[in-house]
Amino acid sequence: MNYLFHLLVMINIYAILALSLNLLVGYSGLMSMCQASFYGLGAYISTLLIMKAGFGFIPAFFLAIIGSVLLSYLISFPSLRLRGDYFVLATLGFQIITFAILYNWVGLTRGPYGIPGIPSPRFFTFSVDTVFSYFIFTLFIAACCALLFYWIGNSPFGRSLKAIREDEIAAAALGKNIVRFKITAFAVSAGFAAISGVLFAGYMRYIDPTSFTLNESIFILSIIIIGGTGNLSGPVVGTILMILLPEILRFLKIPDSVAANLRQIIYGLLIIIIMRYLPQGISGEYKFE
Amino acid sequence: MNNLELIDVSKSFDGLKAVDQVSIGLQKGKITALIGPNGAGKTTIFNLISGFIKPDSGQILYRGQNMVGLSPWEIASLGIGRLFQDVRVFSRLTVLDNVLVAFKGQKGEKVMVAILGRGKVLSEEARNKEKALELLRFVGLAEKASDLAENLSYGQQKLLSIARLLAAEADVLLLDEPTAGVNPAMIGQILKVARTLAEQGKTVVIIEHNMNVVVEVADWVYFMDDGQIVSFGLPKDVLGDPEVRRAYIGL
Repeated sequence: MNYLFHLLVMINIYAILALSLNLLVGYSGLMSMCQASFYGLGAYISTLLIMKAGFGFIPAFFLAIIGSVLLSYLISFPSLRLRGDYFVLATLGFQIITFAILYNWVGLTRGPYGIPGIPSPRFFTFSVDTVFSYFIFTLFIAACCALLFYWIGNSPFGRSLKAIREDEIAAAALGKNIVRFKITAFAVSAGFAAISGVLFAGYMRYIDPTSFTLNESIFILSIIIIGGTGNLSGPVVGTILMILLPEILRFLKIPDSVAANLRQIIYGLLIIIIMRYLPQGISGEYKFE
Repeated sequence: MNNLELIDVSKSFDGLKAVDQVSIGLQKGKITALIGPNGAGKTTIFNLISGFIKPDSGQILYRGQNMVGLSPWEIASLGIGRLFQDVRVFSRLTVLDNVLVAFKGQKGEKVMVAILGRGKVLSEEARNKEKALELLRFVGLAEKASDLAENLSYGQQKLLSIARLLAAEADVLLLDEPTAGVNPAMIGQILKVARTLAEQGKTVVIIEHNMNVVVEVADWVYFMDDGQIVSFGLPKDVLGDPEVRRAYIGL
């Protein structure tokens, strides 16, 4: 039973990540390769605040969001004025730099040794320390995030992002400050990704930089390519599928030595097939071209 | 009194003078036509006015204020609207959303309002939807409101584009070949809309190749050739100018 709830916790955490990236890819038409950076920043900022500075879970949660948002400006201000391809490269660079800092700043992050013994989130006297309670907790947070994404997506802000995605020049000719919209979307996306990081750290109770690599960013991107973008259901469907898929493979009794490689191959094939035959993903609205 | 004025505006591309010392005055409540052969620099003039290209020299005054150096979105928010030659509707948004997106100063465009002020967003949206439907009725697209813009005919997309400009409160309408590639019935509809807007006091400028259209709707005509204004005046005078006839119509 715990195994099932563990998977559901991971689905909740990854659903928030996928929804956050969807705001960039599906709404704004911005391909980003650094979602795992903000995921990791959320995890590390909250963990360090709790363990080194004695903060409670709730303030650490919000400060992690604020920290990620502020750090997102570091990359968005210089790079969002650039054309699409250069922006992708800039996010790739940011992803690699973030990982290098988390990995090498041993004095602060303990680098490759990771940080063990992270306390479970506490609310007054209640500690969320069982898999089941963590499932309920993350479900609640993920549902709140989904509601916020629904409001954002169905607001004039979300509509302007879609217009910019469709045609930047026409949007500018209607008086839209495109750079400002993109910077804001990037910041909001970073803030939500940080929430996933906080939840992940409090659940695993141990973090190290290898959870927040470029591979992880690509995994999050593949979730929304497969599930679909531009609405809420695409990322959620993609998350469920991509979290459960390796578990299904596990039951096929494939030897461990090939299972990991096989999984990568299957992901790759799935992405190719989806992009060729179902460019809007399983349940998305926006087509990749 | 000119609402929008170009004074000695020049622009070269790789040493080639695309626009050469052009001075143009555009008046409120009038339809001004910009005519001339392909490559004469007409669309470049529109790009200069709307800020997508910066002039090498000269001034572009709107209500007496120089706009040179402002970015396209700033110029657009001052009230300069543009219908692109290739229309540029937001294809995968609905017709209604295409208009809604254009309204100025929407509170819900701020993400914090979108998150924390859902009630405010919804009431603002309800008001704007009314206004958007009214604009769609004005251009004759009300029944298409919930269709995706990509499913409209070319002429309908042009009308949608005009409705979008009106939502953006454009005071100057730069229409780049509004009738090209549009079926004759739709041409009448587009011209009627342009005429009504001029009567409402807007400054309407059209780039047009169809001389029948020019004679029918234009109040004032500028004829361009090789980046220069060769002739201007009332439509019948300009079209009767022997130099224009030789350069353009080949007579």
